[in-house]
Amino acid sequence: MKHKEVTRREFIQLTLSSSVAFTLGGLFQAMPMGADEGQRPDLVVARGPSPTRITRAAIDGLGGMKRFISRGDVVVVKPNIGWDRTPEYAANSNPQVVAAIVAMCYEAGAKKVKVFDHTVANPQRCYTQSGIAEAVTAVGGEVSYINEKKFREVKLPGYGIKSWPLYGEIFEVDKIINVPIAKTHGLTKLTLGIKNWMGVMGGWRGRIHQRIDGSLIDLALTIRPTLIVLDAVRILEANGPQGGDLSDVKTLNTVVVGTDQVAVDAYGATLFGLAGGDIGYIRLGHEVGLGTMDLKKLKIKHLQI
Amino acid sequence: MLKKVRITTQVVFFLLFLWLFWETRSKGGDELAYPVKIFLDADPLIFILTSLASMRIDGFPYLVIPVILLTLFLGRVFCGWVCPLGTLHNFVGIFNKIKVAYRPVGWYWLKYALLFFLAVAALFSLNLSGIFDPLSLIIRSFAVSIYPALVNTMRSFFGSAGLGGVASEPRLFFRESVLIGAFFFLILSLNLLERRFWCRYLCPLGALLGLLSRYSFLRREISEGCNACGRCEVLCQGGRMKTECLACGDCDDACAKRSIHFLFGRPVEGVEIDLGRRRIVGAVTAGIIVPPVLKLSPVGNPASVDERLIRPPGALEEREFVKRCIKCGECMKVCITNGLQPTFLEGGVVGIWTPILVPRIGYCEYRCTLCGQVCPTGAIRRLNLEEKKRTKIGVAVIDRGKCLPYAYGIPCIVCEEVCPTPKKAIWLEVTELNLRDGKKVILKRPHVDPHLCVGCGICEAKCPILGSPAIYVISTGESRSKERQFLLDS
Repeated sequence: MKHKEVTRREFIQLTLSSSVAFTLGGLFQAMPMGADEGQRPDLVVARGPSPTRITRAAIDGLGGMKRFISRGDVVVVKPNIGWDRTPEYAANSNPQVVAAIVAMCYEAGAKKVKVFDHTVANPQRCYTQSGIAEAVTAVGGEVSYINEKKFREVKLPGYGIKSWPLYGEIFEVDKIINVPIAKTHGLTKLTLGIKNWMGVMGGWRGRIHQRIDGSLIDLALTIRPTLIVLDAVRILEANGPQGGDLSDVKTLNTVVVGTDQVAVDAYGATLFGLAGGDIGYIRLGHEVGLGTMDLKKLKIKHLQI
Repeated sequence: MLKKVRITTQVVFFLLFLWLFWETRSKGGDELAYPVKIFLDADPLIFILTSLASMRIDGFPYLVIPVILLTLFLGRVFCGWVCPLGTLHNFVGIFNKIKVAYRPVGWYWLKYALLFFLAVAALFSLNLSGIFDPLSLIIRSFAVSIYPALVNTMRSFFGSAGLGGVASEPRLFFRESVLIGAFFFLILSLNLLERRFWCRYLCPLGALLGLLSRYSFLRREISEGCNACGRCEVLCQGGRMKTECLACGDCDDACAKRSIHFLFGRPVEGVEIDLGRRRIVGAVTAGIIVPPVLKLSPVGNPASVDERLIRPPGALEEREFVKRCIKCGECMKVCITNGLQPTFLEGGVVGIWTPILVPRIGYCEYRCTLCGQVCPTGAIRRLNLEEKKRTKIGVAVIDRGKCLPYAYGIPCIVCEEVCPTPKKAIWLEVTELNLRDGKKVILKRPHVDPHLCVGCGICEAKCPILGSPAIYVISTGESRSKERQFLLDS
């Protein structure tokens, strides 16, 4: 043994002093941030013609990606890639928005950024036609198809479902960023961020429509994303969630960014002339304390880029 | 020397064949990256019989002509050097240890009889060429039997390890896979009876090329050094007759006296095969009798067609379709949802192993046109995206006795959600239902708009009522048939 022996006394001293140092350091670091907290918005809504730039500006407006992603993090960015549609049909998340987020994660020091979705239509076609696979791969993201063997049964709060097979990778990473697109839906009226969690469900997930609001809140309470970026560059106003008619698509050139799943969706509802309370799962999310749909109480920062 | 060149050529063509087979798949784009069907495009048997049966030539046969010319000049080189099934037989034959006393059974006439039968039947518009054509046979067997078995096995071994390649493919299911696989293994196992049994006695393409090679210029000559040891005859892959020689070079390789030579020269009369007049008359008679008998099936009556006979989008009208479809299984291999399956008897005996959509296994992806792109005979027309969206392969029907909102008062809108037409063909009627405890429940109940529905079957595929679903597709109203419409304004 060539190592220098550490006595018990030395060990305790070292441990105590280092933890004090860490705590103090943390305090000092937190202080200026604490001062900033008063101005930090709850939601940032950015508008402008470039999906990449509004995405970047919105996240920067919320404190920058470094606030959410630490060095060495493995991150899941979960867009909606559910359908075999090209971007202009607004059925899948905007590829430039998704790619911008992936790029920002790497800039913030992420080790790996994974992108996947349990598609409804054929996965190869969805990933390719949506433009997401290409855009994400170009910025170094890791795109993968769903592997049925990676689903595992997860216990859920039970507002709608008590347990369900969910995609294991979502529980194996450090951070999750939800990147839904705002669209209409036959049963829930709108599909926004909370509804996007259907994309990590396995099994015969269509069954959850029998108790849709509770089931979605179960998922949202369990998955807990670090950040939500609602893509409203183009929204689908009818024949959602799949669309297919360009006359149903409205270009808003908007993204909504926040950390409160209910608040982001409540703001998303206003884009369709609805209130958060009009949507069952937003109302339920508010009631069970997942977040707030009371937009008046939130600090919302608007950016025009 | 000749043998080595031949084996190398066989390996190259076999690998090309496997690679094209593997590439008969979607990578998510609208078009396939490679001309995956070129082996079938080069097949003179398929070309001639399909053209005869349908009395129509579908495109200029760019690849058939070189094969015919090759055979006219050099004989059955295609069989000995190129054909992937021939190569496979060649390989399996290794396991047949040749005995010295071996003598071939010599049923060469059989394949010619089969060819005559198929040709006459084709004249009477019954196209059975695909059942026996070696290329169609090997692709079909690979597509619905060998490859799926490989994929599913690899998946269960390596699926969770996330390895690429075959193991990452989705699990595949095929009806008829056992039957088609068994037929294939039976044919392969004939090699244990006699090497290249199929190529010598059964293959109708071999027979056609045999007829073409009768006056070819490549001659096999035996010089005076021959001591009649008989070794060449034992090793021969085809036969000593010109029409049976595969130019494989095994005899040349085996000859201790170096007295066998392949050389070019004026065609001379070789040993003729006695086909037997009565056999040929029998085959021709069968070719005349069989077509009308097989066509007695009720598929010919528009009202009595099996409503589950759902053909791929772009398929010709049923009678024309079965004349052109060679049951090669290319469309089943390329189908991205695994929905295209071999038909059993839904289309009558003539329709066996033609493609049928089974939406419970896989639906027809709304914007996909791959089956028409790989079809070698035009039985499935190549559609552009706009044509595809207009093509109805059937119509969805709701079984209210099973559908959750109708039968049980339970919400469900899955069929509406997944319906892919721009204006959804499934619409929801909002109704109020009084439950037994006096409570009221608001329900959205699905209806099908038959004018908009294209019969893609995604509703059936995703319906949560497993087994026989609460919404399913019937082929009635399919746009390829004028006779089978049910709407006044269609």
